[in-house]
Amino acid sequence: MRIDAAAYLGAWPFRAVEGGLRGLEAMLEEEGLTGALVSPLAGLFHTDPALANDRLLRSLRGRRSLWAVPASNARLADCHLEIERLSHRRQVRGVRLAPAFHGYPAAEAADALRTAARCGLAAVIQLRVQDARGQPPGLHVSDLPLGDALALAEAVPEARVVIAGAKLAELGELSRLQARPDLWLDISHLDGLDCLARACDAIGDERLLFATCWPFFYARAARLKVEEAELSPQARARLLGGNAVRAFGLPVEVVD
Amino acid sequence: MPATPSDLIIDIHAHPGYSQSLEGLRGECQALLRAAAHHRVDTICLNSLADWTESPDPDRVREGNDAVLALVAEHPDRLLGFCYVNPCYPQQALEEIDRGLAAGMVGIKLWVACKASDARVDPIARRAAELGVPILQHAWYKAQGQLANESTPADVAALAARYPETQIVMAHLTGAGERGLADIVPYGNISVDLSGSDPEAGLTELAVRTLGPRRVLFGTDAPIRSYGASLGKVYGARLSPRDRRLVLGENAARLLGRARR
Repeated sequence: MRIDAAAYLGAWPFRAVEGGLRGLEAMLEEEGLTGALVSPLAGLFHTDPALANDRLLRSLRGRRSLWAVPASNARLADCHLEIERLSHRRQVRGVRLAPAFHGYPAAEAADALRTAARCGLAAVIQLRVQDARGQPPGLHVSDLPLGDALALAEAVPEARVVIAGAKLAELGELSRLQARPDLWLDISHLDGLDCLARACDAIGDERLLFATCWPFFYARAARLKVEEAELSPQARARLLGGNAVRAFGLPVEVVD
Repeated sequence: MPATPSDLIIDIHAHPGYSQSLEGLRGECQALLRAAAHHRVDTICLNSLADWTESPDPDRVREGNDAVLALVAEHPDRLLGFCYVNPCYPQQALEEIDRGLAAGMVGIKLWVACKASDARVDPIARRAAELGVPILQHAWYKAQGQLANESTPADVAALAARYPETQIVMAHLTGAGERGLADIVPYGNISVDLSGSDPEAGLTELAVRTLGPRRVLFGTDAPIRSYGASLGKVYGARLSPRDRRLVLGENAARLLGRARR
């Protein structure tokens, strides 16, 4: 069981990426992955991500090992209604909140987290996608500080929260997570020598989720980071899939 | 696609670590060597950034190079040294290059003390050409603003235009981006390394398509970046087996083999 906790479908507006369903399925096969949690790239850029979410759900229909994590904009007045609507779709396992992209302080997403928790969905809080230093002139999205995301998570203790896009340099702040159950970190943006071992030391291997950020990143990079890490077989299995089952409440029977 | 045992892999861009003591760097270097060995990386080109300040004085520079020389001496089969210098101290920089290369270093490293287009880099470029060694030059286009004396790819292009006999490896493909690649296309004496930032998909193919496969080199910027993520930029890219071999190590071997000893 090997699950990608952060894949996307769709186009990146500033450079061609291979974001189609066939490409996703080919990537999963090439990288030896058995499933993925998928968000719409357009949902990061659209003020109202509803259409992008519906397109995502149509694309994933009938794919038993591809689960949807639609985008959610907590600034919209009907955000909670959209989350409730999405929660009735069997493939939806979480919502992805990107305060930096949608232009609001992380604290404003507390109601969205409560709604997600009430609906049985995980809440993914996106810190960053592209390195801010390399953003094109038409895109200025600041990183969401990890501290803001952690404060949001702490304000809604009943939520299952996934922090997406954290950097190795931020690991020091993660000690706050030790007392917080139901909180995970995806490894998509963790990099640096011994990065996964250091992340395990900081928060424990039971809180790390394998994640590629495909198609924006080369998926092979995530796989090779895991291969390089000196992890026990049990820790590796948790990182590659077991933790995602718990974080997103995946039906274990459909995950080999 | 995994490397085949015959693939030569040379990391053109790595640092010994953050420690300020040789003992500390030894420990960090062990982790570096272990990770590299896991991926069958044959050779690591190490350069010191002294105390990681933007414009270190010659004493700090010399200490950093001494540490690299010591580490290379301890692992001569796996490490090569690049001589870091600060062009703001022109005379000392030339003396340090002569000292470092006499001790076995195989290239020159320039970072952010002085822009590549600055006239103070000229004697270093001339010396590199005389010795037949490459210059590894940091460069980046930063959306949020450059450091005061940080080179852009356009600065590197300006240096390359003045010194066509000098081989320059421009660091940080992801930092250069499409604009940076366009800046250096006309200058066949500039290659680019894959180090820097996240493994953004498509950039390796773009570099190979734009510059040709002989002007793209594998590099990590370790320990800032891991071998896994950095090699993902090569093995995750849609490259022919021939181009992949060139990028992984053959281009670097060719560049490093030009030294006049």
